[in-house]
Amino acid sequence: MDLVTLAIAATPSFIASAVEFVEATTIVLAVGITRGWRAPLAGSALAALTLGVIVGTLGVALVTVVPEHLLLGLVGTLLLLFGLRWLRKAVLRFAGIVALHDEEEIYRKEVAELRSQGRRKTEWDWVGMIVAYKAVLLEGIEVAFIVIAFGAKGLGAMNAAIVGAIAAGIIVIALAAALRHPLTAVPENWMKFGVGAMLSSFGVFWFGEGVGAEWPGDAASIPIILGAFLVASWIAVRLLNGLLPQGARVEARNV
Amino acid sequence: MSSVLRAIWDNTYGLLVDDGQLAIGAIAALAITWLIAASSSEALRGNAGWVLLVLVLALVVANLYRAGHSARRRTG
Repeated sequence: MDLVTLAIAATPSFIASAVEFVEATTIVLAVGITRGWRAPLAGSALAALTLGVIVGTLGVALVTVVPEHLLLGLVGTLLLLFGLRWLRKAVLRFAGIVALHDEEEIYRKEVAELRSQGRRKTEWDWVGMIVAYKAVLLEGIEVAFIVIAFGAKGLGAMNAAIVGAIAAGIIVIALAAALRHPLTAVPENWMKFGVGAMLSSFGVFWFGEGVGAEWPGDAASIPIILGAFLVASWIAVRLLNGLLPQGARVEARNV
Repeated sequence: MSSVLRAIWDNTYGLLVDDGQLAIGAIAALAITWLIAASSSEALRGNAGWVLLVLVLALVVANLYRAGHSARRRTG
């Protein structure tokens, strides 16, 4: 695979993973700036190690033990649940029913909470370490889902998905380290909307393959499935816009 | 130990489920698709993927419409 082809194949995984890395970086930054860097960096490293063990053992066990059609069904189910969750939230945000994800606000809240907990200068910062560990592990699991979704087609696709995720991690972490501030300029809802639609499409495709369905043109059907999700989402946003009066929207939460 | 397991379960559940009705609906759609593929003719099995797509799209629109109605009630 030449470099241009690899870059094109890695782009979906890069975009999707970047969203997760932005969220994890916001929390690690908040911990590092308020409580010092040793504990959150240790927590992040430990989370990366845990993630490696989980993906290594569970991933290898799944691929080697579970029959292929069952694996496709399982991966399809997880991707569909995961993708629909993102798609629903993004549509509700576009319609103004749920407030937009605000990295700046999350950062401020996290900083205030961590400052309020305090600690003695000599003791190891367990709170900072656990907060960073949890954030990196959870967002990392989502990155693992994304890599599986885009890489399930075969070895080439898996390599491209891994390259995309690693590149996203390096760029987001480098930017955050340089700016020492949450990456608020990232159009997160658009990215989540696109990724939610893509993951849902892959979920439908893989589950269909798992139960023996035939897709015309095989993977060439994925853009058609994706188009159907985008049209349905557009219809949903139009319906929601018609339901609620302007100005009364963001207050309505937890729907 | 039980609190750790509870936290792992809560986080895993939260990773996949934002709205319980949507998740149950999606699982029902997957089950219907599997039943169609497992118990019907070759031709129908071949089209089971499209059945799943239609079911999931209808589910998404219906779930979001319900969410909109719920929000409208809350805002009065």
